[in-house]
Amino acid sequence: MSVANYAKDIWQVMSTTFEGMSITLSHLVRRPMTIQYPDKIPVPIQETLPHRYRGILEVDLDICTGCLACERDCPITCITIGIDMNKETKVRQFTHFDIDVCKCMYCGLCSEACPTGAIRHSQEFEGASYNPAGLVRHFAPQLQNLYKPKKGGETDPTLVAKVDIGQKYLDEFATPDGGAAADES
Amino acid sequence: MQAYLDQMIRDGAFAGVPKEVVYAVAMVLAAFVVLSAFVAPLAGVTSWLERRVWARMQSRVGPNRVGPQGILQWLADGIKNLLKEDLIPADADSKLFSFAPYVVFMGFLCTFVVIPFGADLIVADLNIGILYILAVTSLVVVGILMAGWASNNKWSLLGGMRSAAQIVSYEIPAGLAILTIIFLAGTMSMQGIIKAQGWVPWDWYLFHSPFTLGAFFLYFTAALAEGNRTPFDIPEAESELVAGYVTEYSGMRFLFFFFAEWGNLYVIGAVATTLFLGGWQVPPIFENPVLLGIAQFVTFFLKAYLWVFVAMWVRATLPRVRVDQLMALCWKYMVPLSFTCLLGTIGLMFVPAQGQTIIKAITFGFALATAINFFRRVVFQVRNARPELYFKPQI
Amino acid sequence: MSETAPARGFYTEEDMTISVGPQHPSTHGVLRFVVKTDGEVISEAIPDVGYLHRSIEKIGEKVTYHGYVPYTDRADYLAAMFANQAFCMAAEKLAGTDVTRRGEFCRVIACELNRIASHLISVGTFGQDIGAMTPFVHALRERETINNLMEEICGARLTYNYIRIGGVGYDILPETCAKIGEFLNHFEPIVDEFNRLLSGNKIFIERLAGVAVVSKEDAFSYNLVGPNLRGSGVKWDIRRDIPYSVYPELEFDVPVGMAQVGALGDSYDRYWVRIREMQESCKILRQCLQMMPKGPAISKVPKKFRPPAGEYYARVEAPRGDMGFYVVSDGSEYPYRVRIRTGSYTAMSIIDKISKGIMLADLIALIGSLDVDAPEIDR
Repeated sequence: MSVANYAKDIWQVMSTTFEGMSITLSHLVRRPMTIQYPDKIPVPIQETLPHRYRGILEVDLDICTGCLACERDCPITCITIGIDMNKETKVRQFTHFDIDVCKCMYCGLCSEACPTGAIRHSQEFEGASYNPAGLVRHFAPQLQNLYKPKKGGETDPTLVAKVDIGQKYLDEFATPDGGAAADES
Repeated sequence: MQAYLDQMIRDGAFAGVPKEVVYAVAMVLAAFVVLSAFVAPLAGVTSWLERRVWARMQSRVGPNRVGPQGILQWLADGIKNLLKEDLIPADADSKLFSFAPYVVFMGFLCTFVVIPFGADLIVADLNIGILYILAVTSLVVVGILMAGWASNNKWSLLGGMRSAAQIVSYEIPAGLAILTIIFLAGTMSMQGIIKAQGWVPWDWYLFHSPFTLGAFFLYFTAALAEGNRTPFDIPEAESELVAGYVTEYSGMRFLFFFFAEWGNLYVIGAVATTLFLGGWQVPPIFENPVLLGIAQFVTFFLKAYLWVFVAMWVRATLPRVRVDQLMALCWKYMVPLSFTCLLGTIGLMFVPAQGQTIIKAITFGFALATAINFFRRVVFQVRNARPELYFKPQI
Repeated sequence: MSETAPARGFYTEEDMTISVGPQHPSTHGVLRFVVKTDGEVISEAIPDVGYLHRSIEKIGEKVTYHGYVPYTDRADYLAAMFANQAFCMAAEKLAGTDVTRRGEFCRVIACELNRIASHLISVGTFGQDIGAMTPFVHALRERETINNLMEEICGARLTYNYIRIGGVGYDILPETCAKIGEFLNHFEPIVDEFNRLLSGNKIFIERLAGVAVVSKEDAFSYNLVGPNLRGSGVKWDIRRDIPYSVYPELEFDVPVGMAQVGALGDSYDRYWVRIREMQESCKILRQCLQMMPKGPAISKVPKKFRPPAGEYYARVEAPRGDMGFYVVSDGSEYPYRVRIRTGSYTAMSIIDKISKGIMLADLIALIGSLDVDAPEIDR
């Protein structure tokens, strides 16, 4: 190898090392980007997550109509719903509404299919449990009547807020006739 | 230290005990104090500091939970390793296997008896000080070969041999660079070399001539290679196939090798400071001997630790060199350059004193200009890429 | 054995057989190579795949079309959008559905963001394999910002289920578009800094220049795609040559290996193609943000999606090459067959040929530069 190449090699090693070391030193004096979860954060992480965040599923059984659309659309069959006719009152009731959270793949297809927004993804992500049975969430602890959506909007004051929350969740999805940003000017 | 002992013997403090025994016992005690009170916590804190420095260079935080700012992390690691199962492979040579970490450990611990912490703070000021350090650090090679052989594992053997070849090859540029300074100082004693320099930066051997500046970089690079630090850490790279000669080691034995590596960083820094940076020389403003001693100790420690920091910094920056490139670097680049530095220094010794002062001034000016350029570059990097963009509003 | 064969590279009795993987810090996912070597030079490196096989293709026969889209995310979780898009394109062609224009732009934005994220991981882990640990963490830091953006767009950080049949699942709001613009302003200098730190480093260049050269002929005969093919000098990009979506309207370059530091088709060329592709994706994103029309983001698609019988093969340019979904429909609501073709699977096959006669350290460089990843190989 020629002397010129030899000297060039030495010069390149030194200059690129110099450059690299200046970059790492510049990082040393900057603020680190770590979030020191879980104890050194100013607000709980759940409050900083966007509304669309697909955390663990939650069901508001008060506005669930029992249409079973979520159970059908789930690609991994993690939702199990049982509906039975109550012999005395002749009204259909939920016997169980179980979601196996460890099977769920957080795809959001069930929440999109729901007509009222009763089943939705929450901002919760800390769902660890000490045994697999703890990962099956039971949303119908006792027998409960199905919800019948009223034409012209909900009038029962206890349910108005819930229906609104469900509807707001459903508005996030894109639809063929406009979505969240279709009419923005 | 010998002067103090002689004084105490004359005052009759050790009645009836022969002088040699007093010397021997005193040296053993001093060595013990240095090793347990200084070296062990130093190596541990170096491991913690290394992780914090790397982390900050990578925009993250590093261990900060065990103790204030995480400074006791090394204790936690040490205790964890002590509690692990002591595993010796079935077909391994168990005596050699157990003994190898201690040989490596001795290889670096023995150097501390000649490290000059201050004008009077040295365990034994041998008149072959720096040669003793070179000799004793070669024990590490024996330890590594023992570890590689005794593991009864083809990969450990190969890793051990490669590592031994690396260390032995890089002793040559390191030795030549040290020889350059020995020629300048005229003595091999550590205190003698320091006393031949002054306290102002331009009286240090680092800026004595361009050849000593080159010798310094050659020494530092060769010492990093001897200490198995990136960019020369092939033997212990995790992303290579195996972990080299430490593959079969676990628990405390494994930690011994790394303990030796972190401690060795300080030895590298200390030798670099002694030879090139003027050691413990401080401006002559202290009259009180105790204050002077403390000032000298702090100066030496800070200068040596600066090089430990630079070693960590280099490791965070550079990728790894391949084994054949490592050997080519040593034999084709560093050995000829070290010879050039040595011959250049010897040649410059014949230049009259005024000429030497001019060369010193030019070298110092050049080094200062490079340092200023470097910091300007750092400021440019900080301004240019600002990674503070972060979308979570409250955090 | 011709005269040009390397001095070593054939198996002798003293060679050792070792297993690189499946647990190993530098194979990208669970991969295994059975390597025969004499300690330094490799004579054979046979890949052993299948550790991450999850029967995704078989699952395609058991779930509906809409329900299969989340499964396609997992076919390559680092480039999930592309698998979504390829499957949805195949399903749309089978059923004759159109995609709205805004939906197409949302798809391109999401895909290019995902391409940047995937390439960041690729170059970061490649640097880590070579020994430079800092650029890896910097790349991950940037990817975290992209993950935050994707979280705002579709609610998930890795497995998105965003691109649906007929368009996209969620619309991209104007404030998110503003954030993407800010991210681009911030990201382009970061790529330059990354280049100064890693790509320009002489030790890095020396490790990779001329190492594991894949010639054009080899690349064709072993069916390499994506940056691996472009690194060998072939200008082939599905977005240009078999265009889909709105790519014909966008202006961007297709970076090709240029033998800057060694032979054409060496590891550095493949790595450099990925860096340049990140910069080109930034250009594409800026154009999309400007050109995005108003309108619905998804077209009308029946809930019970039942395309007529037929078959279609849809190809997209994924970060690891040409990803193809071959979907056969028999008229029912479940696909009859879904076949996924990925770039990493064929890249594994070339490793044996190229690794004859190179050193162990270079094998790691080869695997990293080919950017193989286990979920794509095993599906």
